[in-house]
Amino acid sequence: MKTALLVSAFFICVFCASTCQSPPVPPEVEKAKSQENDLWRAGAPVYAADEYARYLESLRLAKEKLIKQNVRLRWFRDYKEVRADYIVILAQGDTLINRVQAEKRSQSQDFSQRLDRLEERMRKIKALTQLMNEHAPVRENLARAEVVSREAEILIRNEKYAELAPKLDLIDGHIRQAEEALFSILARYADDAQVARWRKLAEDTVSESRRRGTTAVLVNKLARTMTLFKKGKEIAVYEIGLGRYGLTDKLYAGDEATPEGRYRIVKKNAQSRYYKALLIDYPNEYDKRRFALAKKKGLIPAGASIGGLIEIHGGGNDFLTNGCVGVENSVMDRIFPEVAVGTVVAIVGSLESAQKLLAGLRISGS
Amino acid sequence: MKHFSKFLVLGIFVVSLFSSCAKQPTQAIDAAKAAIEAATQEGASVYAADELKKLNDDLQAAVDEVSTQSKKFLKKYGTAKEMLTKVQADGDALKATIPAKKEAAKNAAIQAQTEAKAALDEAKALLEKAPMGKGTKADIMAMKADLAGLETSFAEVQTAIDSEDYFGASAKAATIKEKATVTSDQVKAAIEKVKGKR
Repeated sequence: MKTALLVSAFFICVFCASTCQSPPVPPEVEKAKSQENDLWRAGAPVYAADEYARYLESLRLAKEKLIKQNVRLRWFRDYKEVRADYIVILAQGDTLINRVQAEKRSQSQDFSQRLDRLEERMRKIKALTQLMNEHAPVRENLARAEVVSREAEILIRNEKYAELAPKLDLIDGHIRQAEEALFSILARYADDAQVARWRKLAEDTVSESRRRGTTAVLVNKLARTMTLFKKGKEIAVYEIGLGRYGLTDKLYAGDEATPEGRYRIVKKNAQSRYYKALLIDYPNEYDKRRFALAKKKGLIPAGASIGGLIEIHGGGNDFLTNGCVGVENSVMDRIFPEVAVGTVVAIVGSLESAQKLLAGLRISGS
Repeated sequence: MKHFSKFLVLGIFVVSLFSSCAKQPTQAIDAAKAAIEAATQEGASVYAADELKKLNDDLQAAVDEVSTQSKKFLKKYGTAKEMLTKVQADGDALKATIPAKKEAAKNAAIQAQTEAKAALDEAKALLEKAPMGKGTKADIMAMKADLAGLETSFAEVQTAIDSEDYFGASAKAATIKEKATVTSDQVKAAIEKVKGKR
């Protein structure tokens, strides 16, 4: 009888064990698994490394608890605590994903702004190169900066922010090289004493025109303008074009620079190969002294000559002259009858310091 | 009753003996880890990041299963072993796919490099032909300087290819091609401008 009872009890236990339903694993477990994947895909290991590590640690501890329950006999399993832990983890994950997205947005904004600032600098330098007809090595460096800038744009679009910082530094490096090349040309234009001399020359020319009741021409190389004065009054302002090294003061033949100083029209040519032309008396006495000194010091090639044939001529203002001042043919038509032989032509670098212009290029913190 | 008790004790002893003797599949774990490491070394993190992540997750699931079983009275590592064997096989398979993916990325980079070179050559040829007279000289000088900059950048494409940065090389080459094409279009426009003035 006792044996029968024991056998029955054994079979009841086996039956219970096989038929009793264990409580289901909380659905939060699967959700957490998929959430962890989402976080990884979103870049949590990169954009919120510490929080992500903490999240993984919480997940690991919760998993251990889950395992502990799973190893129990099924009717002793209780997932309440496990579920509670996973709910906390899911909330932690939601916060983390928001944090990752916010970090990405912030980085995107930050990098985009830095790139915008760099591109603004590139645009300014490019505009100056166009104004100055100055190309290599400024434009070479700009072209290199533009290539990297485009690569950076793609990286921002693909949310690869980790690779962006070195790219932006590279762009900055190329821009700085372009700026340095530009500064070496424009340094004279930022020299206050030099600008004061140019201003004095312009004022003297206008005063003379007023005093004598004559016509005068003022060429401003940096502003790319030619102003016509009559009896000291400004009559018209025209756009001009210069040579490849137009911003440099002419020293010798073939330097493609435009002379600076006080000159006079010595010849009017109505049949010029550049439509119509007004020849000026370059070189004047000052130019000759300067040339002789430069030659003595070996600053120019030994066989170089001082050059001449500097004109104000037609043909358009969008080309490169060899040192002359180019204007549109329509401008030549207007000034040709107004300007007589003997008219004073003052050619200055600039009437304003280029300090502001140069300062605007260097944007700190980019 | 006496016999039943004896058999019961004996049964429990045999079961205990077998269950406690079931060994953890440490070798299989090591093999699976080694397969993943080999795939990573081959470049899976660059060329198959998603697949590598999945593999790591599968490994973790298998390790969890081992951990679960290790805490049980009746340890059954069969499922864990199967999981680990699959991870190892998947790791080996993933590793095997990387050279092809790398090769494809390399070919894409070389193709992009060739296209960039062609675009640069076209722009250079157009610039040589362009009439550098008054009205276009300034533009052409500027474009020549731009092109010189692009050519310097172009040399960096080969450097990237040599260091197996195929995606970086492709991106740079594509950018250079784009810029060179813009220059070509500008030269064509400058030529048209001259034709128009004649």
